[in-house]
Amino acid sequence: MRLHPLTSLAFAGSTAVITTAAASWPVSLAVGAGALGLSAAGGTARRLVPAAAAVLVPLGLSLLIVHGLSFPEGRTVLAQFGPARVTAEGLAFAGERAAQLSAAVLALLVFSFSVNVPDLVAALASRGVHGRFGFVLASTLTLLPAITAQAGRIRQAQESRGLVIRRGLLHKVAAFRLQAIPLVLSLVEDAGTRAAALEARGFSSPGPRTSYREVPDSAIQRLLRMLLLAAAAAAVVWRLWLAGTGG
Amino acid sequence: MSSPSLTLPSPAPAAARRRRLLEILGALAIAGTYIYLVLNQPADITGGPGSASALIALSGFLVGAILLIVAVLPTLPASTLVLIPVALVLNIVLGQFVGSTLVPFYLDAIGTVLIAVLAGPAAGAATGALSSIVWSFFNPTVLPFAAGAALIGCLAGLAARYGLFRRFYLAPVAGFATGIIGGVVSAPVAAFVFGGTSGVATGAIVSAFRSMGDTLLAAITKQALISDPMDKAIVFTVVAVLVYALPRRTRLQFPFVRRHRVLAGTTNEPAAAQGSTQTS
Repeated sequence: MRLHPLTSLAFAGSTAVITTAAASWPVSLAVGAGALGLSAAGGTARRLVPAAAAVLVPLGLSLLIVHGLSFPEGRTVLAQFGPARVTAEGLAFAGERAAQLSAAVLALLVFSFSVNVPDLVAALASRGVHGRFGFVLASTLTLLPAITAQAGRIRQAQESRGLVIRRGLLHKVAAFRLQAIPLVLSLVEDAGTRAAALEARGFSSPGPRTSYREVPDSAIQRLLRMLLLAAAAAAVVWRLWLAGTGG
Repeated sequence: MSSPSLTLPSPAPAAARRRRLLEILGALAIAGTYIYLVLNQPADITGGPGSASALIALSGFLVGAILLIVAVLPTLPASTLVLIPVALVLNIVLGQFVGSTLVPFYLDAIGTVLIAVLAGPAAGAATGALSSIVWSFFNPTVLPFAAGAALIGCLAGLAARYGLFRRFYLAPVAGFATGIIGGVVSAPVAAFVFGGTSGVATGAIVSAFRSMGDTLLAAITKQALISDPMDKAIVFTVVAVLVYALPRRTRLQFPFVRRHRVLAGTTNEPAAAQGSTQTS
């Protein structure tokens, strides 16, 4: 059975929330490993791992620098040079926080790398806030490669007219101006044309819509989504209640 | 460009009131979360990772940003709505370009500020929040910063509304002030959700403040006050350069620019009408 995109989104989101609420590193490591296993089974691991590493490696290094080198509340000093004190508590805090963030990031990335974007857009209803959000999401994802390619073409055109990026801030600013202005100008013009086309097709008029793309959904999946959201909300309430009673 | 429809009935005042209520609720959620976190901060941060304050920061700021989107998005005309995806892509493409060739800042708000200047504070706030939400598709760690991005878009729109883009030298000043506010509001997210920052260089600055004995929130706020105002001053300057380079015809197709005389040298509507009657 194929999962409805909103069901997998509910899965990913509630997993991230529950992992954050649980705040225990065995749970975090298990969730992270599970997410990696899921993406390997789905065949997306090859794209997911570099994307996750690009996010998590700088974050992890930053956590290590911040808490590993200076953790004023730490008692067990492992090494000390100058003002920097490496404490066991600091390292443990950095490790726990990194594990927990990795679990949440991996869970959400598994969703975004496995979801079928046209299905997701079709699942968001085709009018009102949902429809407009779906439009923004879909057109960003399709515009991103197109605009990157257009920026490359503009750079080539300017280079063929003699643009050389020399050292020095002023030269770089001038080069930026030469490339950014044609790009922004053409994008704003295109957007105007697109707005007229959308308006002519009744984009902002109210009323029912029909969709060419049918996304299969079932009562079980709808119930599952409700349960997942309720579980995430319950985890948050439980954690806040524990904090409120001093636990 | 697209004007209010002449054939369809205008939205009922009840709907407008509901949207206004949602806007206010969203702003209250963000402000309330910030105040709660700042008042309650030291008790929790070292008591264990990912405890209650991470969840409060995450849910409060996110709910606020989503309420703002729900309130603003249906009211935007199609001409503004089609610019939002362009702004999101510009945030990414121009930010990467500037970051890699010009200066070591991470200028990730150029598109948001551009929309705010052309289409007003509400569109700017929606663009900022949507930018974070859509970008979290690739990088989930930017999701909690949606409220901060919305605030920056809104402030940029207000700066344009009150004429700070009419004088070229005022744009960086407005950016500097926006950066101070945005940095202070985003710092609790970095502190409570991430327990640090997302970059190595900023992490080193936070570490330096920490070893002087600051709390984590204070250290991250000071780091944000070092890097954010400079960053936003550059972004506002870049946007001013871009907007003034657009042809007059393109600039003036935005009602916000015409009505509030956002840019120098562009006369407002009544004056333009007078001018045309005199010449005809």
